[in-house]
Amino acid sequence: MIDALAAGLRANSCTVTGPMNADDARTAIVERVSGLVACTDDIPVPGVVDALLARGLEVLTPDDPRWTARLVDAAVGITGARLAVVQPPAIALAAAPGAPRATSLVPPEHVCVLRVVDVIATFADAMAEIADGELPSALTWIGGPSRTADLEMITTFGVHGPRAVEVVLVS
Amino acid sequence: MTGHGITTPGRDFHERTATAVADPVLQKALQNLDRRLRTAGESAAAHPEWKERAAAIRRETLLDLDGWLDRLERSLAARGVEVHRASTPGDARRVILDLARARGARTVVKSKSMATEEIDLGGALEQAGLTSVETDLGEYIVQLAGERPSHMITPAIHKTLPQIRDVLAREAHTDLPVDREALTAWARERLRGEFLRADIGITGVNFAAADTGTLVLVTNEGNGRFCTTLPRMHVVVMPVEKVIPRLADVGVLLPLLTTHATGQALSNYVTMISGPRRAGELDGPDEMHVVFLDNRRRTLLGTTYEEMLACIRCGACLNVCPVYRNVSGHAYDAVYSGPMGKVLTPLLSGGAEGADLPYGSTLCHACSDACPVKIPLSDMILALRADTPERSSPVRRRRRLFWTVWARAWSTPRGYRLTTTLGRMSRGRVPGLRAWTSTRELPRPARVSFRDRWAKEHR
Ligand code: SF4
Repeated sequence: MIDALAAGLRANSCTVTGPMNADDARTAIVERVSGLVACTDDIPVPGVVDALLARGLEVLTPDDPRWTARLVDAAVGITGARLAVVQPPAIALAAAPGAPRATSLVPPEHVCVLRVVDVIATFADAMAEIADGELPSALTWIGGPSRTADLEMITTFGVHGPRAVEVVLVS
Repeated sequence: MTGHGITTPGRDFHERTATAVADPVLQKALQNLDRRLRTAGESAAAHPEWKERAAAIRRETLLDLDGWLDRLERSLAARGVEVHRASTPGDARRVILDLARARGARTVVKSKSMATEEIDLGGALEQAGLTSVETDLGEYIVQLAGERPSHMITPAIHKTLPQIRDVLAREAHTDLPVDREALTAWARERLRGEFLRADIGITGVNFAAADTGTLVLVTNEGNGRFCTTLPRMHVVVMPVEKVIPRLADVGVLLPLLTTHATGQALSNYVTMISGPRRAGELDGPDEMHVVFLDNRRRTLLGTTYEEMLACIRCGACLNVCPVYRNVSGHAYDAVYSGPMGKVLTPLLSGGAEGADLPYGSTLCHACSDACPVKIPLSDMILALRADTPERSSPVRRRRRLFWTVWARAWSTPRGYRLTTTLGRMSRGRVPGLRAWTSTRELPRPARVSFRDRWAKEHR
């Protein structure tokens, strides 16, 4: 199932790494990013913020009173995911006080950290499960990088949202 | 519904189709539709049993539309969303303008929505002195060009890349290259500024779940996400038939919508909104309003056309329509084009608009076959021909004249002899019927009529 998800997300033009354990995931994330990094507090790998700071990177977290103003300058947004589905391939992010909606929207690059236990087979199954539980103010499904086919129906990436989406799978 | 600039000139549908077919640039742009058609058609064909399930959900909704709307209103209210009921486009515009004025709003960002087109909201906002910006890239291009969308999924399908460059360069006041990436990057920067400045985000909605009060919005670009994330207020214009009984139904309807619209298994972004931002959250609107737009829809309940309200606006019927594919959206001179537009335009205007549209169809049935919720579009187009009031349809007036003359003539032996003799002499070329006979052959009349032969042999 995880292989199928990875293949599906790649077909949607995402980069996929893992599955790997939390320590490897942390290292992989920290090595990949640069510039101002915005992090939500629902990343399912502990110590990402500290590791980024230790590498000398600037980090923006939701407890920063200037979050909204500074997010515009962020190069990367790192978030967790509430769940993912294999068919059709997509990840879902839940808005929360520590997980603002714009983290996965405003920066040009989005890194999404997903636990493999949160992967569900089909969208229909996922919707049945979601409809029964507590709903967040916004649940955002993401298939891949922002895209448009408005120019002569040929796909162009990064029109409003991120140009690149990287999914890190954590076992 | 005709508030926008129209780019395909012509007095009636037939003239406008002729203009469109003769426009080489438009025809070139339309070739791009074939690309979409191939992918969308292939992936859609894979799900026959899903069509059944989706059709059943939509029929269930229509069976008690008012009941589901009441339930939705209660669910939305419980989540802190205010509902406004608008029976006419004017009512809907008034509600939204009042909200904008009361909040002292100056800039509005809009995410592509047929419903806001239907009520010509952009025009009303501009007239009230607000800046209203379309944020879907295609729709933005169309807005800058002073036109209206020609396809509900890809609004700028009638434009080629060099034309798009010209439109954007005029707005940028500098030269821009004829390059997809560069043009997209320029629009991204420009629209980013609008998002940050905007006071209100206005969107449509694809599905509204009555049980949970959740609003489901699909986009590919992410502009819908911006409109529901940054502005302080989010206003949703919701035609009443967008309600669905349960949020879980989205599991069936949404994949079907996206496969039929673009051939994607799921659109790139799906946003499911359950109320405004909550305590402690850093973004999302503080305030949300949903405008239920009726605009004659509820009068269709219980009629031949009730099922038209099952439409999920996927655009599949446009993509397969031989007429649409040759003339594109502007020839219809209406917000909704293609087969669904031929049905919806006369119905939503009470027959005042689009009376000729049902005649611009070959009745080939491709639309009915393509529709993911099994709306019998062909049958409705045919029924509308009979139901359209004669005074509003030149085609029907001409036909009526023809049949009246015919009936008169054939009521007397002399008239019959005269017309059949004339018919034989014309050898199938009847002057008044040239529009019809230019593409079709009339049957050749026999050299000697049966009456003459009979008279001769039994003399
Ligand atoms: S009538 Fe059917 S095919 Fe046409 S847009 Fe509506 S749902 Fe899609």
